[in-house]
Amino acid sequence: MNENAGNMKVKLPVTVIMFVLGLFMIVPFLWMLSTSFQTPAEVFNKWLPSSLNWSNHIRVWTGSHDFVPYYLNSLKISIVGTVGAVFLSALAAYGFSRTSFKGRDGLFVIYLSMMMVPPQVLFVPKFIMFNWVGIYNTHWALILPAMFSIFGVFMLRQFFMSIPKEITESAFLDGAGHYKIFFRLILPLAKPAIATFAILDFSWQWNDYENALVFLQSPKLYTIPLGLQNFILENNVDYNGMMAASSAAIIPMIIIFFVGQKYIIQGISSSAVKG
Amino acid sequence: MKKKWYPAVLSVLLAGTMLAGCGTSGSNDAQGSANGQTAKEKIKLTMWGAVPAEAGPQAVIDNWNKDHPDIQVEYIRNVNDDAGNLKLDTALMTNQNIDLFMNYDLAHLQKRMDAGVALDLSTKTDYDIDSQIGEDAAMWKINDKYYGIPTKKNMAFVWLNKDMLDAAGLPIPAVDWTWSDLEEYAKKLTKPGVYGLLQADSSFSTTMDGTLAGMGVKQADGTSNFGNDLWKEHLEILHNMMFVDKSTPEYGEQLTSKMPVDTMFLQGKAAMLAAGEFIFRNANNLKDYPHDFKTAFAAIPKVNKDQKDYKYSGGVGDMLSLNAKSKNLDAAWEFAKWYADGGMLPMASGGRIPASKSVDSKEAMSLLMKGVEDKYDTDSMNKIVFGKFPSFQLNVTQQAIDARKEEYEKYFLNKQDIETTMKNMQTRSQELLK
Amino acid sequence: MKRRSWMDRQGWIGMTFILPNMIGILLFFIIPAIYSFVLMFTNYQFSNPNWQFTGLDNLKRLFHDDNFYASIKYTVIFLISVPVSMVLAFIVALFLNRSVYLKGVLRGMFFLPYISSGVAVAFVWMLLFQPSQGPINEMLRWIGITSPPGWFADTETAMYAIDIVQIWLMLGYNMIIYLAALQEISTEQLEAARIDGASTFKTTWKIVWPLVSPTTFLLMITGLIMTMKSFSIIQAITAGGPSGSTTVLSLFVYKTAFSYYDMGYASAISWFLFAVILVITVIQWIGQKRWVHY
Repeated sequence: MNENAGNMKVKLPVTVIMFVLGLFMIVPFLWMLSTSFQTPAEVFNKWLPSSLNWSNHIRVWTGSHDFVPYYLNSLKISIVGTVGAVFLSALAAYGFSRTSFKGRDGLFVIYLSMMMVPPQVLFVPKFIMFNWVGIYNTHWALILPAMFSIFGVFMLRQFFMSIPKEITESAFLDGAGHYKIFFRLILPLAKPAIATFAILDFSWQWNDYENALVFLQSPKLYTIPLGLQNFILENNVDYNGMMAASSAAIIPMIIIFFVGQKYIIQGISSSAVKG
Repeated sequence: MKKKWYPAVLSVLLAGTMLAGCGTSGSNDAQGSANGQTAKEKIKLTMWGAVPAEAGPQAVIDNWNKDHPDIQVEYIRNVNDDAGNLKLDTALMTNQNIDLFMNYDLAHLQKRMDAGVALDLSTKTDYDIDSQIGEDAAMWKINDKYYGIPTKKNMAFVWLNKDMLDAAGLPIPAVDWTWSDLEEYAKKLTKPGVYGLLQADSSFSTTMDGTLAGMGVKQADGTSNFGNDLWKEHLEILHNMMFVDKSTPEYGEQLTSKMPVDTMFLQGKAAMLAAGEFIFRNANNLKDYPHDFKTAFAAIPKVNKDQKDYKYSGGVGDMLSLNAKSKNLDAAWEFAKWYADGGMLPMASGGRIPASKSVDSKEAMSLLMKGVEDKYDTDSMNKIVFGKFPSFQLNVTQQAIDARKEEYEKYFLNKQDIETTMKNMQTRSQELLK
Repeated sequence: MKRRSWMDRQGWIGMTFILPNMIGILLFFIIPAIYSFVLMFTNYQFSNPNWQFTGLDNLKRLFHDDNFYASIKYTVIFLISVPVSMVLAFIVALFLNRSVYLKGVLRGMFFLPYISSGVAVAFVWMLLFQPSQGPINEMLRWIGITSPPGWFADTETAMYAIDIVQIWLMLGYNMIIYLAALQEISTEQLEAARIDGASTFKTTWKIVWPLVSPTTFLLMITGLIMTMKSFSIIQAITAGGPSGSTTVLSLFVYKTAFSYYDMGYASAISWFLFAVILVITVIQWIGQKRWVHY
């Protein structure tokens, strides 16, 4: 893909406009950063801190409720969960799109419908189930369900379906089986989709609050969203600390986003296979 | 390119499996120690509460743990909102290892009693709650039994910026002042940049609740009392203050800006603040909230002069219950008694004054005011903050409270008039109070 | 491959792809869903272990509940955000695909709202929409509108203000998926069209848009589903108020289940919600044959 399409006369003004719009998009993030450097008295009165007050950030990483364990827990759960979800979803998506068996589409509709079940409804039954199996109050209670993503199956199915049939036809004729085609042809071609799903899924798990709240009881198992609750004091909220922690919490997601972008762009070289 | 990542995926999953295993051991430990009951083995108790640990509870626990090596207590903080309460209730009902927990209102205690997780303390004869805590404790009884020990004095009152009152020539109000009086005060105290009155969110319903507690939730014929005239008068006064006198913020403003009312009062942007003892924590923190003025106190007013039976929001709170299914009831009971009778003193500096008569209230007071004695008008403080008033604990369903709030919100946002508001409150609560 | 018998070898292999995933879905979705479906016919209160079957009582109660009808209205308004956000995101994705410098940075900026702390997002938007002092109303007054809306402080406009926040929030999500789809479009097709003399607009409309239709379909369905389930941003900004005017169905379920502990009734509402989503999805599914090109 020609990344430098378009001449400078078009690109430059467009870049500027998009940048201005982009600034508008990141206003809450800027507020987050700004508040993390303020004092409590400043929080509602000013947009910019009068001086860079690092004490909030220091507090988050050292001190009695330091965020290090929460960070590690979140990392562990999100990474394992996302890897599992990507893997299992890709497999299932392939099954739903590039293989055929009776009842395939019907089963897919059932899958889709499960996506529509409001999550609150599932808390109580899941709670009972996890308690019975013994994984309540362990990280497995979060990781296991996370590995089964209906959205992932749906999204990747859509992308797999738009890969031209001719590519796989020739491989079949050459004698390749489904698994080979899956690993050697489809996956590489769908890199942008997979990378995108990974980014999204990671962000959902990273920010998941309700599941962590209901299924984790010991503070040392807490994830970042739960840890942020520490800043909700009895009758007011410690916004400075909370924003300091939130700003730090965004960093892994930003990293994953940019790493993922590389794969999204890389996947294009596979267009050599097309045409 | 193609197969390279495959082994990587497997190794991440394997690593994850092992790491997740580490997490499991945390809960297994707790299970194990709770079962060991021989005299030599350590008993581990778990207590859940909403106060952040560093605001007092941790010091309390540390004191106990130092003196009781055989009974170690762990404090787990749980925010007192819907999600947090749900978490506590789920944990209680599925026999997680919670031995003691705090209830902050009667409605939640009721739910826990219904679920059978709050221990009925009638069998405990070595601690007489009525005499230790006083007559206010009785308001926490359900079906005439105690399901916990109320541990702290609840106090709702109005914080006054005495300097501003003096400047306007206003004396500290009488204990039984009314909302009309307050309206006058607020009008005189309002200046550009300074509100006459600010109310904390929780205070909006204080006067209404106190009125209802006095006259009864239902009338003699069983119909709801939510449409009563005293409420009407109260709401009209407030409405006036918002839109005519402009001595208190318009409701929409307060709602959408999540006004930090305590910060505003301490920064001199309001002359009076209707709140409670929870403000002490910030008021005493001169580093983050520097202020010079002297603070005096007044009661939350009743609606009008003729009102009898008005109850003041106060009484006792922080109901410490024992989990009926706990395996360490004896140890937990020891802790509970110790806590109520003075163990909780470290929490006084945040405004939590122990209710038990075994605690010298002077000691509690001095802890409360350490370092800031000169910022408070002692006379009104003794009368109001440490005074005795007929009080109440209201047991009304959450749905009725929500419905009432929706109606008065519409009124304060000028979406409906007072007549419709009162009528709706009546009809909606009627259904919900069946 | 041609299908020979009911389940030929290819079919079985196909099933093996799905099996691992399906076990989890069965365990963590289908079984809990059935459990909650049954709950709908009981009067189970979370804290009270005594419950009975009450048949269709919960459903009857639902259809007489004014709050229920109100929340349907608010939900419909809430759903407007889905197509609006998608269209805007598509346009943004088009630009950020090739026609700008600093691609990575710009994309990151548009994605950031989606992953920012909900508390921060809620807070900033409340400040922006503040009726008396917020920048948005200041600007409206500046251009001559003397009586700008009360946004979150007004029962009539609160839901629309939420819509605006939701559109802004979901932009990143829609954009990132459209970007992935756009990347898959080979340059050859576009070049060929351009050589044939088609303008950029025409190329976009006649070639690019149909080519990303599977993605549009994905985004419509998932967007509707996710929006119908979402409530935490509303909870953070208005908690369903003022006066219940932003209590969409999902928030209604949440309150009923976790604040009132009325599990049976909450299940009934949830399943109604589910039924609505299902109907909409099926309609879209059938309709896809018309406009989705694979």
